[in-house]
Amino acid sequence: MSSATEQSTERPDTAADVDGPIKEIGHDEYDPIGTLVLIGLYFLILVALWFFMYFVEFVGNDPTVVSSILMGVGLV
Amino acid sequence: MNIHTYEKAWLIAAMLLIVGFIATITYGSIGLGIAMVDDEGGSIDPNEVFDHEEFSDPGVQQVGEDEYEVYVRAQTFTFVPSPIEVPAGSEVTFHVTSPDVIHGFSVVGTNVNTMVIPGEISTMTVEFDEPGEYGLVCNEYCGPQHHEMSGQLIVTPEEEFDLTELSAEAPDEVATGEEIEVTATVTNGQLEDLDTTVTAEIGDVTLEEDVTVAGDGSEEVTFVVDSSDLGEGDHDWTVTVDDYEESGQVTVGTDESDENDDTTDTEDDNE
Amino acid sequence: MSNATTAYFEDFPEESKVIHSAFWSSFIALTIGGLFGLIQALHRTDVFRFMDSADYYTVLTAHGVLLALTFTIFFLVGLFTWATTTSLDRGMVDLRFTWGWYGLMVLGTILAAVPILAGFTDSIDMSASVLFTFYAPLEGHPLFYVGLVLFVVGSWLAGVDWFRTWWAWKQDNPDERIPLPTFMVLTTTLMWYLATLGVAIAILAFILPWTLGLVDGINPLLTRTLFWFFGHPVVYFWLLPAYMMWYIMLPKFAGGKLFSDPLARVVFVLFLILSVPTGIHHQYLDPGIAEGFKFIAMTNTMFLLLPSLLTAFTVVASMEHGARQRGGTGYLGWLKALPWRDPVFTGMSLAGLMFAAAGFSGMINAGMNINYLVHNTFWVVGHFHLTVGTAVALTFMAASYWFIPQLTGKRLWNRSVALIQVLVWFIGMTFMSNAMHRGGLFSIPRRTAEPQYEEFAFEAGVGSVAELNLQVALGGTLLFLSLVLFLANMVVTVMGDRADSGSIPANTYAGTLSGSEDAPLILDNLKLWTTIAVVLVVFAYTLPILSVIQDGGLFGYEINGFPVSIAPFLPAELPASLETVTAALPEIEVIP
Repeated sequence: MSSATEQSTERPDTAADVDGPIKEIGHDEYDPIGTLVLIGLYFLILVALWFFMYFVEFVGNDPTVVSSILMGVGLV
Repeated sequence: MNIHTYEKAWLIAAMLLIVGFIATITYGSIGLGIAMVDDEGGSIDPNEVFDHEEFSDPGVQQVGEDEYEVYVRAQTFTFVPSPIEVPAGSEVTFHVTSPDVIHGFSVVGTNVNTMVIPGEISTMTVEFDEPGEYGLVCNEYCGPQHHEMSGQLIVTPEEEFDLTELSAEAPDEVATGEEIEVTATVTNGQLEDLDTTVTAEIGDVTLEEDVTVAGDGSEEVTFVVDSSDLGEGDHDWTVTVDDYEESGQVTVGTDESDENDDTTDTEDDNE
Repeated sequence: MSNATTAYFEDFPEESKVIHSAFWSSFIALTIGGLFGLIQALHRTDVFRFMDSADYYTVLTAHGVLLALTFTIFFLVGLFTWATTTSLDRGMVDLRFTWGWYGLMVLGTILAAVPILAGFTDSIDMSASVLFTFYAPLEGHPLFYVGLVLFVVGSWLAGVDWFRTWWAWKQDNPDERIPLPTFMVLTTTLMWYLATLGVAIAILAFILPWTLGLVDGINPLLTRTLFWFFGHPVVYFWLLPAYMMWYIMLPKFAGGKLFSDPLARVVFVLFLILSVPTGIHHQYLDPGIAEGFKFIAMTNTMFLLLPSLLTAFTVVASMEHGARQRGGTGYLGWLKALPWRDPVFTGMSLAGLMFAAAGFSGMINAGMNINYLVHNTFWVVGHFHLTVGTAVALTFMAASYWFIPQLTGKRLWNRSVALIQVLVWFIGMTFMSNAMHRGGLFSIPRRTAEPQYEEFAFEAGVGSVAELNLQVALGGTLLFLSLVLFLANMVVTVMGDRADSGSIPANTYAGTLSGSEDAPLILDNLKLWTTIAVVLVVFAYTLPILSVIQDGGLFGYEINGFPVSIAPFLPAELPASLETVTAALPEIEVIP
């Protein structure tokens, strides 16, 4: 079931390109497979870029601040 | 609440992504030993930075074999000291603070980067394996000349690095026939003994003396030349130790009064 | 919501005027801020410099304040007033009160802008070139802080206005679910109340008394920490109105319905409870804060990715629903069925696409130790030009093409110009932010008039610094061109005549595939979520703040302010800057 906001629209939208739907697709008959494909691609890009940024750009950009046994020595 | 199967799958993938990110960062901390700038550096009254025993005369100190401490003042609109020189193959701990406003301390092209906040000391330990020259840049806005606040960090080859300081003292004038004493003081800031040769050229006389300067100590070497060997007139003198050089001029003859008060002090350190 | 056949101005003529005024306040800030952005893009890349580099920071302060606060928040208050009245289908309780908070926000903006702009001239002894973060001991004129406070108080009263309108509605509709747009308004407002506590305390308890000489000292780390208590959630205050547009308008323009009302509510609840206890991730490289506190902030920040990742799915699925209703087919072929010639749809979609990219650089920024690579570099500037500079700004501009006719009853002057405008913005930002991100990776700093140094040169891994500079300058120029097109369209539209009665589209928002009836009732329990949010904030911030106070004192050290004025400031010498203090602010006692 859906709220009835849009259904009663009878006047044209600003978006003249937005024609009324060719067909009504209800909740139960809709599987967003295209979205799954797109978001899957996004996921792969994120994972690849994360590894590249962390292990190539960051770790390869040494020297890096490391923990040290010297910590705290030398300061009064 | 029914969530579509695909969106459930995405929810799980998103959680995996988040957990994976946190796991990577944790691996960096534990596996790679990357430490964050934190509260280890302690606090400091910004009004007392110029009186602080280290920050009043900041610079490089050796604290162990291949271990160095560097004190840096980030202030409008400069880093003190700059250039900072440290040896390759060493572990360097930076202590940075500000006597005025918030600054940044970024070693260009590396992952050495910290905020510098008045009242706090930023402490970071870094291992420099290879020689190289890096820029230093203040990357936090600190006032109208912010863009001029930069410096240099030089990592020198280990065998070329020292913390030697040389100063020399000689009279400006001596009467003919008197002796000219040139006193050189060699300070060794490193922990190991320094074996070196002090060379003095006074006029056309060259003298040499081998010295051993104890770690964290200093030695005084005095060279004596009979002024009559040089003859009347102005004579240049130079004292050298390794790459350090001090020089001055001594006048033989002429006015004989207050000769002992007129001396030339020169001093140089490796900053 | 019931009266879905008429335009907004027909149902709410008085509210339309307030919202229209708020939008124009927003556009004016956008214009000035955008012009300053162009000046900066040309100056720091050394493509064209016509002013002293010290003035750059005055320009940058105005750019930051006008765009990050004024432009975004004025648009937000207009949008939220529309969302509340539209979805509750009732007017504001008391329009005098509505005009009152709008007036207070205008007053605050003017009071803050005057000392900033006075920084350009020596003839007015006033300046506030402290940037939008105003880190003490940099010191702006007191009027600057007073202006900021009034502006924020105005936004607080706006929140009160939306709440009381909702309460009035609830009296009449005791058993109904909170309509989704109002739900978004209320959760965002609650988040804002919590977030602004930080900046209110920083200014009212510490910075303002110190600039006025009532107290001698300040703890710079404390005021900085309080700033970021506010400074991170403020980005969600910019972003959530854009999210609202993507949830309740974009599906409609795509020809479909919102995929899931319950998940939209979950997302806004997550933003309410997780936005604030994350600010310390801006302080990963701060001394004086233990690593453990930074780790906690990171965990919270990473989990805050969840609502955005969920949004990506829900919004794209809603668009796909539209595309399939419009006859789209295939795994990706449906994308062709979307109304790409509609500037409102295309603008919002491109904004969302940019936000996907921004999501990635944000994930890097959220990482604790990788922050050494990017902190305070140009990377960060690239990041927030994708978020607030595109995801938010482009969504707002695209939405304006729909809203201004709704509010005025006048037809949009030119849809083709509007379509070109959103495309040019996208292209310009692609150039600019790409170059900024790359430059940051080899340590080019942000917030710098002249990132060219004597001692060294930046080494680009791929390409060259000159190439990056050209991209930034080109991108900045395209963005400004786009801004001019936007303004021209808006000005000509409102100068035009009213359209024939009934020719402006109806004031509707998207229907839902899975509606509020599928959402558990507990989602609407605002008290519960607010309590959890407060508990998380207490958990994340109590110990760090106590330790900062313990180390540096509540009122810190006796520190003289460093007024950031351009002319008399002498370089390098501390005594000279102290003289400037005495000269500029004689009422402040100078401690030798």
